[in-house]
Amino acid sequence: MSVLPYAVAAWLFGVGLYGIATSRNFIHLVGCLGVCQSATYVLLLGLGYRWGSIAPIFYDHPPGTPAVDPVMQALVLTDIVVGATLTALLLVLTVQAYKRGGSLDPEKLRPMRAGGKSGQRQDAGHTSGRVSEGGRKAS
Amino acid sequence: MTVILPLLFLLTAVSGTAVVLVRDPTRQIFAIAINGLVLTILFDALQAPDVALSELAVGSAAVPLLFLVALMAVRTQAPGEES
Repeated sequence: MSVLPYAVAAWLFGVGLYGIATSRNFIHLVGCLGVCQSATYVLLLGLGYRWGSIAPIFYDHPPGTPAVDPVMQALVLTDIVVGATLTALLLVLTVQAYKRGGSLDPEKLRPMRAGGKSGQRQDAGHTSGRVSEGGRKAS
Repeated sequence: MTVILPLLFLLTAVSGTAVVLVRDPTRQIFAIAINGLVLTILFDALQAPDVALSELAVGSAAVPLLFLVALMAVRTQAPGEES
């Protein structure tokens, strides 16, 4: 019980990083980032869960009964809300990147340019995706 | 209590791994919802019912719905087309 929460948190973080590094789809990538964030939830709540020690706030609580650290729970509550907003923001960015670039693959994402070069202007994605796809393959 | 908590921790690790290993985004939504549900049960077992409630609302309802909306927006939108 002492090592397991840390091990699970480390495993979740590592596996989420692996998913982010090997992902070929932006939506899948955002899901892997959510796994990374759940590692922090598990770590914080595992830190706050103590058995048999004196509770930090209500210290006249008799020892031997289960008690939790409410500070950690407040932190995790904030973390969950931040995670939901981060997921929503990244999904909106994914949809916008798909509109402009025509692909969800991070490998095919081109660097952003203000105006582009001559003729290859990608202003607000007015050129159709198929044309830019063919141009990318030709180059 | 001493058995169910390590079991839930291991279940959390397994479901998080499943979210990463399911490569198809349509199926990954289900994995994300199951992961949120497992996290909810784990937080409840860790005596954090408020965190469990918010994780239930956010992790297994709101976030999969967001993913669903993003997938639909990507599918109905032809690439490079203004909405």
